[in-house]
Amino acid sequence: MIKLSGKYILKFLQNHYEFVQEAFNSSKPDFIIDNDILEKLIEEYNISNDPKISITKLIDVKFCRQLPTKDYKLDIHYTSFLQFIFDDFTLDLPQTLKDRYRTIFELFTELKTTNKPNKIIVLIQSIITVIDVFLNDIHRQTQRLLSDTESLKVNADEYSDLSKRLEKAVFWIDEYIEPLNKILEKGHPESFYSALVEIQKYTSEKQYVADSFKLKREYKKLYGSVIYARAELDHNLQKLTRELRPLLDRIKNDSIILSGFYHFVENVDYPENYIVPLPNPIKKTKGSAIFKEFHSEAEFFVDQFIYKTSDIYYEEQVEEQEWLPDSTYFKEQLLKEDKVEDFYLWCFDALKKHTDEITLSKYFSITNLLLEEDLVAEYKEDDRITIELKDASIKIPKVRVYERVSK
Amino acid sequence: MKEYPSEHKKIVNELLDGKFIISPSPLFYTIQELEDEYTEFFEKSFNFKLNIEADFSYLSSNEVNEKRTRDFTLFLAILSRELDYSGKNFRDKIEVGSFDISETKELLRQSSKWEILEKTTVSEFDKFIKTWRNKNLIIINGNKFKFTKAVKLFFSFAIDIANEKLMENMG
Repeated sequence: MIKLSGKYILKFLQNHYEFVQEAFNSSKPDFIIDNDILEKLIEEYNISNDPKISITKLIDVKFCRQLPTKDYKLDIHYTSFLQFIFDDFTLDLPQTLKDRYRTIFELFTELKTTNKPNKIIVLIQSIITVIDVFLNDIHRQTQRLLSDTESLKVNADEYSDLSKRLEKAVFWIDEYIEPLNKILEKGHPESFYSALVEIQKYTSEKQYVADSFKLKREYKKLYGSVIYARAELDHNLQKLTRELRPLLDRIKNDSIILSGFYHFVENVDYPENYIVPLPNPIKKTKGSAIFKEFHSEAEFFVDQFIYKTSDIYYEEQVEEQEWLPDSTYFKEQLLKEDKVEDFYLWCFDALKKHTDEITLSKYFSITNLLLEEDLVAEYKEDDRITIELKDASIKIPKVRVYERVSK
Repeated sequence: MKEYPSEHKKIVNELLDGKFIISPSPLFYTIQELEDEYTEFFEKSFNFKLNIEADFSYLSSNEVNEKRTRDFTLFLAILSRELDYSGKNFRDKIEVGSFDISETKELLRQSSKWEILEKTTVSEFDKFIKTWRNKNLIIINGNKFKFTKAVKLFFSFAIDIANEKLMENMG
């Protein structure tokens, strides 16, 4: 073939749509495809498709060319078009965008200073093209970031590694969203947005006062492009700041919580590795007795000790705290019993197995089990028996205790 | 003798019971208003630290080594993980959603981390959530439960770990 025709290229794309998509996907993001991979794609495609495809044919339609490294590079005209038709855009570094919009400034400065009508027309056309390319870029970036962010949010398989997810979200915010925001920032004098405002002001006047009808028409075209560009930018900015940024921030923050929890769970048996101490809310430090008579008797006894020296009182507090963790153990023992006919006596006996020094505070810390919601206490008889503790003797009622059967 | 607010006894009782006091409870606003007085009161009287966060308050002590708090953190960590894995927004669900008790029990049992939870107080799930209901961390309504705002304390703990870890990796 001597000269490629547009129809031939479109026919090639239509006939081999699936192959083109495969090659496009395999070559992303730099659109360079490994020699072996391309051959394999061709081979697989040819098994079930007619007409067949070959490397020569691909080169003929300028779909790709071979690099000195033997790999194949897809042609840029194809890749821009394919990105558009597959709605699958690659990310440019914001630096690339920045360089592009700088040329708008330069062209505009030149436009303001030149008097030559032909040059004015060329400059206006160039500005319109650059704005168009720039808008297209911004649109591509936003779409790409949105779809990637969505997948980052839902695709647990690919991004199940939390630190990767976090890293990706932080990277996008720092490398794309922030710089894009700066480029587009409305209030900033050097932003793309300000350039548009400047051009709009300039052309809104020029479209009426330019020297010739032809120039007036060109200025009007530029004016129209700028107004359109501003509306488009507003739309994209909205996506960036109202949707994308909060979404990424959310992923970042959520991933932080999950990765913190992950680290905690992994080190749960090694508290020294938590790095940060666990929250340490206090446990219940006191309880009140259920039976009024018992309560007042108990208070009476406790009061006696309060009037002793403060040192002794302090020691008792410490003891009480030391005993509290054990209440879980005693509760387990209690539940094992199925039913206890004389709860207070049981408490005394249970304690006796562990210590001879049964103080009032130790005894109370166990009898407080009576307050547990899952235990039922039945109190029928008025008889009291006396129990001798180390620091007091108390009269106790007979109380039957058993576990509440949940409904 | 200084004057105490009318809710004083209730505030002291609830906090000493190891309960979280949560906004919009009037007790919370009284504590917030009298932050300095109450901080000193609990410090001097009991050697406890009074913590007042944006919307909840509680007492803490460095001398407390509560296995149950560790268990609750484990429970929350694994619940968050399972919700995230099933594609749900775990933070929204935990902060504002409600959970069916038996479904949650089942979700945890199916987790690969159940072997850890099984050895903790979480294994007796109904009892476990009642314990934390008593501390105002959970509200039970029929066969459903939801977390109170105090759950944020444990999210902050996770964020602190992750940030420390990030610093460690960078340093």
